[in-house]
Amino acid sequence: MKLYSLSVLYKGESKTVLLKAAYDVSSFSFFQRSSVQEFMTFTSQLIVERSAKGSRASVKEQEYLCHVYVRNDSLAGVVIADREYPSRVAFTLLEKVLDEFSKQVDRIDWPIGSPDTIHYTGLDSHLSRYQNPREADPMTKVQAELDETKIILHNTMESLLERGEKLDDLVSKSEVLGIQSKAFYKTARKQNSCCAIM
Amino acid sequence: MAETSEEVAVLVQRVVKDITNAFRRNPHIKELILSGTLNPIKDLHLGKLALTKFPKSPETWIHRRWVLQQLIQETSLPSFMTKGNLGIIPAERTQQLIREEMEVCGEAAGRYPSNYNAWSHRIWVLQHLAKLDTKILLDELSSTKHWASMHVSDHSGFHYRQFLLKSLISQTVTDGSVLEQSPLRSESTVVLPKDEEAVASAEESRVNLPHLLKEEVEFSTDLIDAYPGHETLWCHRRHVFYLQHHLNGRFPHSVIQLSPADSPGGTLSDLHSIPAGPPTSQAMEVDGLSDFSKQGYSQEIKRLKRTPAPDSLGLEMEHRFIDQVLSTCRNVEQARFANAYRKWLVTLSQ
Repeated sequence: MKLYSLSVLYKGESKTVLLKAAYDVSSFSFFQRSSVQEFMTFTSQLIVERSAKGSRASVKEQEYLCHVYVRNDSLAGVVIADREYPSRVAFTLLEKVLDEFSKQVDRIDWPIGSPDTIHYTGLDSHLSRYQNPREADPMTKVQAELDETKIILHNTMESLLERGEKLDDLVSKSEVLGIQSKAFYKTARKQNSCCAIM
Repeated sequence: MAETSEEVAVLVQRVVKDITNAFRRNPHIKELILSGTLNPIKDLHLGKLALTKFPKSPETWIHRRWVLQQLIQETSLPSFMTKGNLGIIPAERTQQLIREEMEVCGEAAGRYPSNYNAWSHRIWVLQHLAKLDTKILLDELSSTKHWASMHVSDHSGFHYRQFLLKSLISQTVTDGSVLEQSPLRSESTVVLPKDEEAVASAEESRVNLPHLLKEEVEFSTDLIDAYPGHETLWCHRRHVFYLQHHLNGRFPHSVIQLSPADSPGGTLSDLHSIPAGPPTSQAMEVDGLSDFSKQGYSQEIKRLKRTPAPDSLGLEMEHRFIDQVLSTCRNVEQARFANAYRKWLVTLSQ
């Protein structure tokens, strides 16, 4: 049961901006780590871009589950977890983080922010604490307010894309992914290995 | 013929490059160990490192078992290997080996989901190194609990718990019946078991089986509620319930009649004939994880027919549990598993 990344983003009119992110890539081998991190950023951004304001969704991709919450004010959060991590807790985490973020960072800074300019330090400790969902979020009936039927479930990343759009193209055009990561993606894709995206 | 430490270096390189053939080519690693060139403890360490990169590698696990076997049969190794290099008494060394193996298995299990090879190795170690010692079984049950709760879809991890419970049942019932079967035993004359120490430890580690099983059911309830929609958890519940009702039919006065398929002393291949779960009718589309052989299946059917029906109180509690889950859950899969479990319970009492 694992959380890999937790990010806060802003869904702008033309593009989605990463504001702050925390990662736990300790389970990946040393040489993979920076690529994995880049792909998680890429994925988080893409998902927010393709999700409507005021929506929640979970996107399956191989052994990962990406949970996204885009608020009506365009502030968005993405948590990338494994398949075991309970989605209810993931959404509770997102709600909490975005609430906290919006109180600590001025709205004015959101559209033009970046991880370097944004002053919010809570993500790392939230990510670490929520690794054990039951310690972080004791089961209470009150918290089961979230209407799980409203959460959109996507079975692949592909289902988020427009007609005719190819993930391969988006990867090669991406500014977030380094040359190494793009090459890694290409090889993995060719081999059809289990790490095609991450 | 393997003679030098350079050959060992070649071996290391081979492991890194090609794990599948590392143990097969010349110089043959077994020769290196038997001739005293390669210290078996170092070889185990090398294997441990290899497993960090190849956590499933069957060759590594198989070879590991061979090395462990050499270590516990001290006569097979050159004497300087067992005395000089290790320098501690055999029993303590075995304990150390067991601890180390548990750690290696645990790490490998964390590196690959449902790592059958790692978990079955763990079982092998308990059977052959630990000889299913009750205290060790109990320790393992408690020390793997947290891991299991954080890997709720790891079928092998839960199967391990089922193995522990099964072994505790057979070990304890054996001890219990041995003590029961000597009615003429006085304080001073102890005929069975073989020595007084075994009697003492049997008394000390007298396991409260009903309590253990009840705890496991509570554990299962806890996880099913917290993590809806995981088939592994429901599968585990079936096993535990089955063991409970099984126990109620046999404890404490009935004679132990363990079928070969259920023998804890079996080899690794026997794992396949231990039923993964009680036989289900074809309508149970959910539980496709059972891996029992035909032999195990028919023996289980016979045993089910021989033993009395599960106690109605236990069944009632299970039905109430299912009702509670169905009334509060919002996960489609969870509802499906709960209903399948209900159907299974019904067939059990027919």
